[in-house]
Amino acid sequence: MAAQTSSGRTDVDRAECASLQGEEWEVLESIYPDCVSGNLTSGLVKLEIPIEFPEPRTVYILDDRTQLSTGNLGSDTAVLGPSSIPVSSSLPLTTLPPLLLDVLLPATYPYSPPVIQTLHATNSWLPSCLKLQRMLLEMWQDGEGLLYNWIELIRSGEFLETLGMCSDVNGEEVIRIYHSAPHLLTPLLKVYDQSTQLTRFSQTSYECQICLTAIKGARCISLSCSHVFCRACLEDFWRLCITEGDVGHVGCPDPQCVKAGREANEEEVRRVVTEEEVRRWKWLREKRELEKDPSIIHCPMSFCQRPVLKPTNVDDGSGWERLRECPDCGYSFCAYCKRTWHGPLSDCPISMTESFVLEYLALPEGSPEREVLERRFGRNNIRKLVAKYNEEQANKQWLDSSTMSCPSCQVHVEKSLGCNHMTCTKCKTHFCYRCGDKLQANDPYVHFSTPGHRCYSKLFDFQSIDDEWQPVEGFDLL
Amino acid sequence: MDARLRRVNKEIADCKNDQSSNIDIDLVDNSPFHLVGSFDGPEGTPYEGGHFQVDIVIPESYPFQPVKMKFITKIYHPNVSSASGAICLDILKDAWSPVLTLKSTLISLQSLLCSPEPRDPQDAEVAKHYMTSKSSFEETARYWTEIYAGGPGKTGKARASAPKDEVAIAGLDPAHVQQFQSLGFEKGKVIDVLRRLNYRGANVANINDDRVVEELLKP
Repeated sequence: MAAQTSSGRTDVDRAECASLQGEEWEVLESIYPDCVSGNLTSGLVKLEIPIEFPEPRTVYILDDRTQLSTGNLGSDTAVLGPSSIPVSSSLPLTTLPPLLLDVLLPATYPYSPPVIQTLHATNSWLPSCLKLQRMLLEMWQDGEGLLYNWIELIRSGEFLETLGMCSDVNGEEVIRIYHSAPHLLTPLLKVYDQSTQLTRFSQTSYECQICLTAIKGARCISLSCSHVFCRACLEDFWRLCITEGDVGHVGCPDPQCVKAGREANEEEVRRVVTEEEVRRWKWLREKRELEKDPSIIHCPMSFCQRPVLKPTNVDDGSGWERLRECPDCGYSFCAYCKRTWHGPLSDCPISMTESFVLEYLALPEGSPEREVLERRFGRNNIRKLVAKYNEEQANKQWLDSSTMSCPSCQVHVEKSLGCNHMTCTKCKTHFCYRCGDKLQANDPYVHFSTPGHRCYSKLFDFQSIDDEWQPVEGFDLL
Repeated sequence: MDARLRRVNKEIADCKNDQSSNIDIDLVDNSPFHLVGSFDGPEGTPYEGGHFQVDIVIPESYPFQPVKMKFITKIYHPNVSSASGAICLDILKDAWSPVLTLKSTLISLQSLLCSPEPRDPQDAEVAKHYMTSKSSFEETARYWTEIYAGGPGKTGKARASAPKDEVAIAGLDPAHVQQFQSLGFEKGKVIDVLRRLNYRGANVANINDDRVVEELLKP
């Protein structure tokens, strides 16, 4: 019995050893129920010890050939500086896959050392198993239980330090793992870490700050800002916001996050609310985004009302600039009159231009509101319209002051000389140039010869029309 | 029992059990959705020694929509309407979060008393007073605390039953009021005009007597 001779103790009381072993095992089973298994009577026990860091640690997974080329591990950090580390293989990890130990406890343990039959790291992530095995055995002290110390050393990750796998990079203690196939190991470690964290999250109980109830993580959601809320509360909150169109509040409900305006991402929203609500949420967001653009016009179809953008690649000032095509309902319309598209050349069936030219002119020059209109309708278009409007206004003024329009066909007539009985050259209607009334074709002069009539004896009226017009009662109505 | 009721009951119970915060919440009638909160004026402020009551209405969609709060106790503060008690505080509006509770909101109100924000006023006249002369503002706020919130006042004793001095309530100098009163104007009218014109501190130099008389003559 090599173990017994090496310890120099052959006289130990086997019954005492059995009771010490039993005690130690009981303690381990109650503290680490997930880590220990096996049959104590046979002396064969199994330890499965995961590595759990209190804080996430940066782990570099490196090709072991770089280790050979850079020389001695750990002792020369200058050579192993951050520049030599391929960035793609660094991971922030909170856990590493468990180490499996098959241990034989001799009948005389703890007065003789245990025997490690195998030491295996899940996914073979640990390169120096033998070194660790030697280190664990060196910890044995005569008569003292060893397994608890082993579990603690491994679980806390302290052994990595002792194995020289930790080094300082920019003030941070990082872990380096040398491996023959880093590209295979990296995803395994990542998946293990994620699934462990998920299990841990779903088993932990959280106090939801909304319903003020402690709820199992499985029924909670951890948002990207790492605030945790119960699914039911988040659902109620976001549903209300989405229903009311308050898209800005669909986010973390924490007061600091609310003040910072932190909004939820699509993945988060999808996890919480129904598909229909997700669609409405996306629509609201799109709408809000589009409404920041002053050139948008809402689709005039009452059932649709989608914001429609100005067409791109259209010459500034061309009639095509007025065209809008709703991507939802397909309605093509004119941006000016919002009626169905009437081509780039013809004017709107109902003149809309005057109202927005007036709106434009009412705004101070160079104001941001003017810029919005310029962006919406095109700067050159607006200028053209303003010029046209001014010309029309001047025309209208002249027509009003110097002409009379035919009461039938509305054509404007300017009298150069002659009497006030006019016959329209276009429609042959007889009318009075003074007041615009229609005259009877068979006897047009009765209008001027009826005493008391406003145009009595005014057939020949050579005075300035304006002077005479104004005092006549009821005439300004025309 | 719906989630709103459950949460409000929890909040009320939590407030009752917590002795350290000195925030009280009591039921009005028997509905847990209409409450009265109360707290003491913070030390080192003109509100010290006063006890302030706040009307609390829990809306239908609480806690996803902010709780409605207004001061029941009259208070002289730039962010509280001196007439209605309405409060200007971001967390009662768009910065509300469902994580905030009745207690934490009342604590925020208490701290609003420590740090007025006159650039975002609820009561423009009070805010102007605050900006013109902080010492005169504080004197008025202290007087209000004394007569409306049971504060100690200059005498060191609460005198809620004592006759109220209209000039002090308006935060005006009795000499100024007297000056215009002696022109033959009614006292109430003089107080009203001088208060609206913010006839206080350094601002007095900016307002000439004609301007005051002009205002006084308006029907």
